[in-house]
Amino acid sequence: MSRPLITVEGVSKFYPRVHKPWERMRAFAALAAGREPQDGAEVLHDVSLEVRAGESFGIIGENGAGKSTLLKVLTGVISPSRGSVQVDARVAALLELGAGFQPEFSGMDNVRMKAALLGMSPRQLDQRLDFILEFADIGEYIHEPVKHYSSGMVVRLGFAVVAASDPELLITDEVLAVGDESFQKKCINWIESFLNNGNTLLMVSHSMYLVQKLCHRALWLQDGRVQQEGDVFDVTQSYLAWHESKNAQEKGLRESTQGTAGLYSIESFELAGESSEGDVQLQVGDDIQAELILHAPDGRPPVGLIGIVRADGTPVYGVATDFDGVKPEKLGEHRYRFRICFRSPGLLPGSYSMRGHAMDPEGLRLCDTAECRVRILGESRELGFVRLPHDWL
Amino acid sequence: MNLLSNSIFWQLVSRSIRTDYLENLTGFAWLILQPLLLLAVYAFVFTTIFKARIPDADLVGFVPYLAIAFWPWTAFSEAVLKGSNTVVANAALIGKVAFPSELLPLSMVAATFLMHLVGYGAVLIVLQITGIDIHWSGVLMAIPVLGLLCLFACGFTLFTSALQVFVRDVAQILPPLMTFWFFTTPILYSLSILPQGMAAWLKWNPMSWFVNRLRSLILFGDYQPSWTDLVLPLLCIAVFWLGLRFFRRFSGHFEDFL
Repeated sequence: MSRPLITVEGVSKFYPRVHKPWERMRAFAALAAGREPQDGAEVLHDVSLEVRAGESFGIIGENGAGKSTLLKVLTGVISPSRGSVQVDARVAALLELGAGFQPEFSGMDNVRMKAALLGMSPRQLDQRLDFILEFADIGEYIHEPVKHYSSGMVVRLGFAVVAASDPELLITDEVLAVGDESFQKKCINWIESFLNNGNTLLMVSHSMYLVQKLCHRALWLQDGRVQQEGDVFDVTQSYLAWHESKNAQEKGLRESTQGTAGLYSIESFELAGESSEGDVQLQVGDDIQAELILHAPDGRPPVGLIGIVRADGTPVYGVATDFDGVKPEKLGEHRYRFRICFRSPGLLPGSYSMRGHAMDPEGLRLCDTAECRVRILGESRELGFVRLPHDWL
Repeated sequence: MNLLSNSIFWQLVSRSIRTDYLENLTGFAWLILQPLLLLAVYAFVFTTIFKARIPDADLVGFVPYLAIAFWPWTAFSEAVLKGSNTVVANAALIGKVAFPSELLPLSMVAATFLMHLVGYGAVLIVLQITGIDIHWSGVLMAIPVLGLLCLFACGFTLFTSALQVFVRDVAQILPPLMTFWFFTTPILYSLSILPQGMAAWLKWNPMSWFVNRLRSLILFGDYQPSWTDLVLPLLCIAVFWLGLRFFRRFSGHFEDFL
């Protein structure tokens, strides 16, 4: 086992009531007398966790569950009311885009300030300045005051400095959501190589996709308490299931059904064709037929999404029933069937996967995923992975 | 923590200096121009309108007598007033980034002193040019005195800036308090013209020592040490130490109150 970087034991945090002046005075007097304020709002209750070197750890939970407060306690911005926190690493924290940025000053000035706050010496900064400018990729704007920046540019610059500070432990709040697609990709690539180098990540996110992609372990906070901690897939799934049942409850539609109450799930996902070693084998140009049967706990017809990805996960094509305005075939009270045929899809020989997804009836949340591997057989010297109709003129 | 090698500290210092002059057309020229203009105003007011005379100042004239004491006082008072606001004003930073927050008031005090030091130098040079006998070896010896004043301001500001987080009224109380302190310090007058009882009281004001010591060193070339020269440095160190202790005692709770 690697050494623990973060050890949190029994941490609770109260925010004293300080809205009225006399409340402030009373809280201050209590502090001066050496008493921790105990009567305020309790934001964290008896939270313990341990993150070891090389781990990636996600914190999930509803808005107001105490995630950001926990990060603030971890980074030392606030001190816990009870319990102990030990962090034993070179930390870089990205709690809010542009924290420590002053809008009146130029990007360059703010880079210097931020670098100092992250513990870089002026000499280290000079060495890494090229990297920062290249990573942030905001061109001549670096000499403009930050108040003229878009929020995307602020987060690019902030992330670039953090990346340059060469941390062992990166703590981020929901900040990556701001940048554009290509910058998000750049950040995620950077975080992946950061993790591959044996570093440690602790992140808060509402994107279960990101958490599952980047983290091995997760912690679910609920009303300031640890609801569940463990393997990322276990935790995210029970979190999503809890959300589903909560939504169903709110709509008054909850019915007691099978084990995973309230979650649209895949009952079966099959491809037509001969299979060998788990792969369905098709010839170039063959139709691809798939059948997806979904289970809907509340009886409403779910949205089905079926797509093809390459073996490395690159999406080729995907389509959902709500795009096409298709209604599923109702097989029973809670069962719906979707069938699709891709006619002569023009896929070049190689390995692919068909994916079937269950989505909620609004087509907003992905609830379940199943995968079938397909091998397209044949010979071709064409390049790429799909044949486009063409004529040489 | 070594303050002078702390890059956060220097970033904050350079930031507060530039905030004041960033948007000005002539920029840093005001660092020198402003004190000189003020000096001209005081010269006009106190020699032409009031015709102020102080027995102690007969040898050198009233304006130099005032100027030597006035700039250190301005540096002190401005440092305290601006520095006390720093923690509340930087609430966003304190809530998001973990760093030693005492750097905020300390850097503001340091920046204010550095700025006024430049002006003080300019005023001394102009006084010399206009025929006042400035004792330059006394100016050298005044540097540690100004350093002590800065230390005193740091300690005082650490206390008020932390207190202001919990008791916001500090922001309103301080300006009149500083004005009171200004008039109870022999800057516009000398202790010798006061009634006996009053002068005895005002001797306990530590700022009296600063202005009198600076005058005796720079204007009169009087380098004779006295017993107060031993007590005051100890007092400044004590004030700084207590201020820092007070600040650190409560800095972990700033975020709850901001």
